[in-house]
Amino acid sequence: MSNEYDVVVVGGGHAGVEAAHAVYRSGLSCALVSFSYETIGQMSCNPAIGGLGKSHLVREVDAMGGIMAQATDMSGIQYRTLNTRKGNSVQALRAQCDRELYKKAIQDTLKLTDIEIIEGEVIDLLSNKESVFGVLLADNTEVRGKKTILTTGTFLNGIMYTGQDKIQGGRVGESAAIPLSRKLYSLNLPMGRLKTGTPARIKMSSLDLGLMEEQKGETPTPWMALSEHPTEHQKQLSCYITRTNKNTHKIIKKNIHLSAMYSGNISGIGPRYCPSIEDKVFKFGGKDSHQIFIEPEGINKDLVYPNGISTSLPKQAQEDFIYSIAGMENSQIEEYGYAVEYDFVDPRSLNPTMETKFFKNLYLAGQINGTTGYEEAAAQGLMAGANAANKIKNKESLILERSEAYIGVLINDLTTHGVTEPYRMFTSRAEHRLMLGQDNAEQRLLIIAKKADLVSEKRINSFEKKENAYNTFLENSIIKRKVKSFIDSSGKKIDLKEKASIETILKRTDISRENIIEISDTGPENLLFLDRAMVEIKYSGYIEKQKREVLKNKKLNLKDIPKNFPYTSISGLSNEVKEKLNKTQPTTVGAASKIEGVTPAAINLLLVYIKKAELETLDA
Amino acid sequence: MSIVFALATPASKSALCVFRVSGDGCLKVLGSIFGNPPIEPRRFYHSSLISQSGVIDSVGVVFFKGSSGYTGEDSFEVYAHGGLAVMGSVVDLFKELDFDEAGPGEFTKRAFLNNKLSLSEAESVVDVINASSKEVLEVSLNSLSGGFSEELYSFSERVDTLRKFIEGSIDFSDEDYDFIKEGGVVDDISCLCADFGGFVNKCYLAGEGELKKMVLFVGPPNSGKSSLFNRLLGSDRALVSDIPGTTRDLIESEVFYNNSSFGVLDSAGIRSTEDVVEGKGIELTIAHIKDVDVVVGVFDSLCDKELNKIKALAGGKNFISVLNKSDLGVFNKDGLFDVLVSAKNGDGVTELKNKISLVSENAGPDGQKYFARSRHIKLFDEGLGFLEAAMFKLRSGSDVELAAEDLRFARASFDEVVGVKTSDSLLGDIFSDFCIGK
Repeated sequence: MSNEYDVVVVGGGHAGVEAAHAVYRSGLSCALVSFSYETIGQMSCNPAIGGLGKSHLVREVDAMGGIMAQATDMSGIQYRTLNTRKGNSVQALRAQCDRELYKKAIQDTLKLTDIEIIEGEVIDLLSNKESVFGVLLADNTEVRGKKTILTTGTFLNGIMYTGQDKIQGGRVGESAAIPLSRKLYSLNLPMGRLKTGTPARIKMSSLDLGLMEEQKGETPTPWMALSEHPTEHQKQLSCYITRTNKNTHKIIKKNIHLSAMYSGNISGIGPRYCPSIEDKVFKFGGKDSHQIFIEPEGINKDLVYPNGISTSLPKQAQEDFIYSIAGMENSQIEEYGYAVEYDFVDPRSLNPTMETKFFKNLYLAGQINGTTGYEEAAAQGLMAGANAANKIKNKESLILERSEAYIGVLINDLTTHGVTEPYRMFTSRAEHRLMLGQDNAEQRLLIIAKKADLVSEKRINSFEKKENAYNTFLENSIIKRKVKSFIDSSGKKIDLKEKASIETILKRTDISRENIIEISDTGPENLLFLDRAMVEIKYSGYIEKQKREVLKNKKLNLKDIPKNFPYTSISGLSNEVKEKLNKTQPTTVGAASKIEGVTPAAINLLLVYIKKAELETLDA
Repeated sequence: MSIVFALATPASKSALCVFRVSGDGCLKVLGSIFGNPPIEPRRFYHSSLISQSGVIDSVGVVFFKGSSGYTGEDSFEVYAHGGLAVMGSVVDLFKELDFDEAGPGEFTKRAFLNNKLSLSEAESVVDVINASSKEVLEVSLNSLSGGFSEELYSFSERVDTLRKFIEGSIDFSDEDYDFIKEGGVVDDISCLCADFGGFVNKCYLAGEGELKKMVLFVGPPNSGKSSLFNRLLGSDRALVSDIPGTTRDLIESEVFYNNSSFGVLDSAGIRSTEDVVEGKGIELTIAHIKDVDVVVGVFDSLCDKELNKIKALAGGKNFISVLNKSDLGVFNKDGLFDVLVSAKNGDGVTELKNKISLVSENAGPDGQKYFARSRHIKLFDEGLGFLEAAMFKLRSGSDVELAAEDLRFARASFDEVVGVKTSDSLLGDIFSDFCIGK
């Protein structure tokens, strides 16, 4: 039996569904192959979307027509904006979601499309020497596609550990994709092993929330999606905060030899920003207490995700330490914590389009590339899907610059520097983060997305209408009005020597928003515009500077370094830098310039030697 | 490639000076900075050179398209009159246009990369780049005391530490840890600014031979400071060179007297006032006072309030007070001033010179001094500016993300010596020092 599609997507996680939906939006046919229909859109870790660097990705996915933000709004049960006391570019929205509702939202969204969902296990790639043309299922069905996108997450050779117990699989109750891992290994791809962990899941009704600190959501409740969202939010719930204590740490120390991660069973590298409770207690022994966020799993679900105590201790030890925590003394554990170890493909073997360098027509997205997080996965999925579709249509590749989007930072980091631990987005990874606010994703990406056939004409029109209104506001408004004085953030009246426009005053750092609203006489209908103008004007000097920086580095970033370049022959480079270049093998001069310890002089030398090599080839 | 410029003729007063500008897109500015913009490449045009504040000079200009010029990319050359003021204004104009000052060997490197030089010349390009990157070390060896690059490494580490706390406060704001407070960031950056400021002040322009003693003339406006300055130079006719550079806003000249040489600087007038604009001038002079060995205060009245103000400005430096305009009948009551002169007729000027000569010989280098290239000094000055900008924001507790950006740029001023700091390694530092994450 054989079916033929434009694009075959393997995996129904966050990368897979965005990839498939992007193909659908661009008007091509798509099959999505998953172990089981039921798990499509599953949140396998904590039930939250967004956070620093991550909400930025979600909004970008949204601005390019992706479905993650809307699914979040259909299932969001608590919203909080982080960094409210810091500037706009580093503010981020985080939403707790009802796990079931999120999954349902994704599945319902897919139902509205012509994406064909095929249940089955992929056991092999259909391929000839240089290219892939589909997948083979366990029941011998061939699913053929012009392009194939693998988004298999942690299922490649996944092993879960709880104490000394070891189960194959990427998620509890689901098996690992072993034949497919074998296939990938047989291709001699550069692969590595990573690990991550989860905490136990506990019945909410068994907790004494009165002993914990309640954390309510933000009001008015914001929306994740910039585009369309439901008319009403789901019922909003609180999170709770409790803490580990000395006794907890004592129990963990006593049992540490039983922890899978400490007994030497696990070779994979775990994320340093998401340490297990074992790591926290051992590596940071100076701290007597660590925070635990009790995150509700859903509105009608008697279950919480205690974020902060991921562990691979044996069940008994997990119970012991959990019972020692305030409010968790009578916990009923529904599912125990575990560590999962899985294979990933070195993302440096990908082109910036997410297509592999080793096989034509094969794309990889999500955790298989060594990333972690739903948002990172979704972003890659969208880009892989869009590029697969663009290639079929003979359209230009969709590659975002580091200065255009966090997605650009993500893919550039992955494909040029690879990963040494599960890769997670942070705002500090984006050197141009002042330009990349979560609020201006549409301004940055909507037009680009339109060119790639990812968003509808209708959305563009409504966006342009909004932009026109904003521009009119800027031109005619009140912010041009001149004033003689204003009240600064400390409440002091500042008299100006000469009258200045509000626009000019907005460049200062000591202004108060309330006073600006007052002196500019901005009505509620224009508040959003005023807020936007305040941000843009305040950042303008910095952004100009960043833009110049981008322009200056543009050519450098694109200059290719020949394969196997003999760095050792460059006179004047320190041995340390030579070694780093040899180890990293950057593909462009731009990538080389972003290696720790490299100096501008080293880059100049590299340019000269590349040129020298070019001239020598010509001479020969 | 980015647009760079350089003065192609020596940086001293001469009949003509030539500026070279090279880089993609540099020809776009021709229409806006030349009154009579050149139309054809490789033809010499006569035109005015215009900045935002008006006409700078009447100049010659010629431009080259792509491969026809020396660097093999779009470039142009400006032939201006060789006065220091003109040179300074041209430099300012180019900086305003966001052109970069070319590093050593930059034009040759470009020529090579753009196929204008043969393979055999590659080595020479490499040599120039290597020589310039070793400059810091060589300069360090030449310094009166070692430790130049060590100090730079330590400053860059201190910037990295600050960034660790600040980036931590941004990316991990929901941790139960107040990075800014616990890290003592506000105090640390204040100390760093002060220390780095001190370091920058210890950096002297590396020149040939011995370090010459610097003498700065300060005083209220119209006290006859400039006439005295000219009298000092004019009577000797010993002017060696006028040096533009970091002290462009001062007039600098070199005087030989009694077999010793000293540089003299004339500053803009200082009035003791609360006025903001004048205050800026005072700040600038204070900055320069740190760099000189002797401060000469010039006054034309017996007001001891003025005298004490300026004496206070001089800090611990050797200070000579001069009362000018003896020709108008002012007299040195109670010997309040060290010297009484008349800039107009030259009375007392020899006595002043003897005094300067004597005092400046005794004025040994106070503490450590480093020789550095002007390029590095500029870089450090910029770095200090970014650090201070970050400090103000952190003190006020607002705009942390902008302070972070200032610090990113501040850190970049160490790249040339220390190498880049990547965001990944910064995050690595955060993860190894703080228990982050859920």
